[in-house]
Amino acid sequence: MTEFSAKQNIPFRLLSDLDSEVIRRYGILNDQVGREDAFLEGIPYPGVYVTDEEGVVIAKFFHDSYKERDSPEMLIDAALGRLLLSDDEPSASGGDEEVRISAVVHGGKGTIRQGIRRQLIVRFELGEGVHIYGEPVPEGMIPTSISVSAPPGLVLEDPIYPPTETLRIESMDMELPVWSGTVDIVLPFMAIGELASETRPLDMEHAEIEVGVRYQACDDNSCFPPKTEKLKLHVDLDVIDVPALSTHMGHGQREAEYNGMPHMFRLIRRKARKYPLGMLRLIFKTIRLEWAALRRLR
Amino acid sequence: MSIERDHHGFDAPVPLGHPARASLPDGQPTGPEVGETLPDFELPDAHGNLVRYHESRGGAKSVVVFYRSAVW
Repeated sequence: MTEFSAKQNIPFRLLSDLDSEVIRRYGILNDQVGREDAFLEGIPYPGVYVTDEEGVVIAKFFHDSYKERDSPEMLIDAALGRLLLSDDEPSASGGDEEVRISAVVHGGKGTIRQGIRRQLIVRFELGEGVHIYGEPVPEGMIPTSISVSAPPGLVLEDPIYPPTETLRIESMDMELPVWSGTVDIVLPFMAIGELASETRPLDMEHAEIEVGVRYQACDDNSCFPPKTEKLKLHVDLDVIDVPALSTHMGHGQREAEYNGMPHMFRLIRRKARKYPLGMLRLIFKTIRLEWAALRRLR
Repeated sequence: MSIERDHHGFDAPVPLGHPARASLPDGQPTGPEVGETLPDFELPDAHGNLVRYHESRGGAKSVVVFYRSAVW
């Protein structure tokens, strides 16, 4: 772990749950993996807990796929209870005096990689007394909408809108959902294998994301013309190291600089004490699955 | 090893169905819930020093990440 920490530049503390005792106590042991799976046995479902000063969980992050993880920035946001945007994140801006619009790729300092979730933040800064509309609004009015065009393999989730305020228009006996002040619309996204497979060299170095924003701003007396803005963002595809094991070599983007095999052998030996046939059974299982995969790929 | 893409669209250097690719099943509990206090534990760090979780926080907020392996 000391070597791993140093090579990966990990600034936080790594702890070792050798016998998965804490993993079991927390109830997050991956029990689809058994002792017959040799060195794989004992792994948790990967996930993150964020706590307050009292140690009480205020947010947790677990996903359907073990490949899917949240950016560190999202964990910091969860701890702070607000979005903390930084100057080194790619951004583009537009709009006018009444409505300032910016789009930011939050997380990863302008990089993306397979499975790691980032956020596209569309921020409206509205002038004093100005509002824009949420949904639903009557026919003829323009609700705020975001459209994104991105390369294949960049998967966007549904936008997360902040809660709207209610604007009552007495003369028309109407209630409208509106936003005022600073409005952040959050679109989580990530790259999948089609764009940034971690098992082969990258096809491209960058990706362009185009954000389309449509809205109409009004104040208490009148409305400004509806507007459509296009903002362009640029992200780099991050090159990642393959695990430092000969078995992984040739299956990644960049080979790691150190040798993980001695650590692997130690792990295998330790698990073999629990179940001597484990490694043999895992090898047979892997060969059987390989054959099935080769049939599928043919 | 074969490279296969799973139904999420992710690639990994082991075939589908391999235990190394076993993901969280639907409805599987994921430990302490929001609002609960994280159970305390004591584990060794990279230098072999025992770390008691709540004590080590020193009254600060914390992020606890469960990772699968630093080896593979």
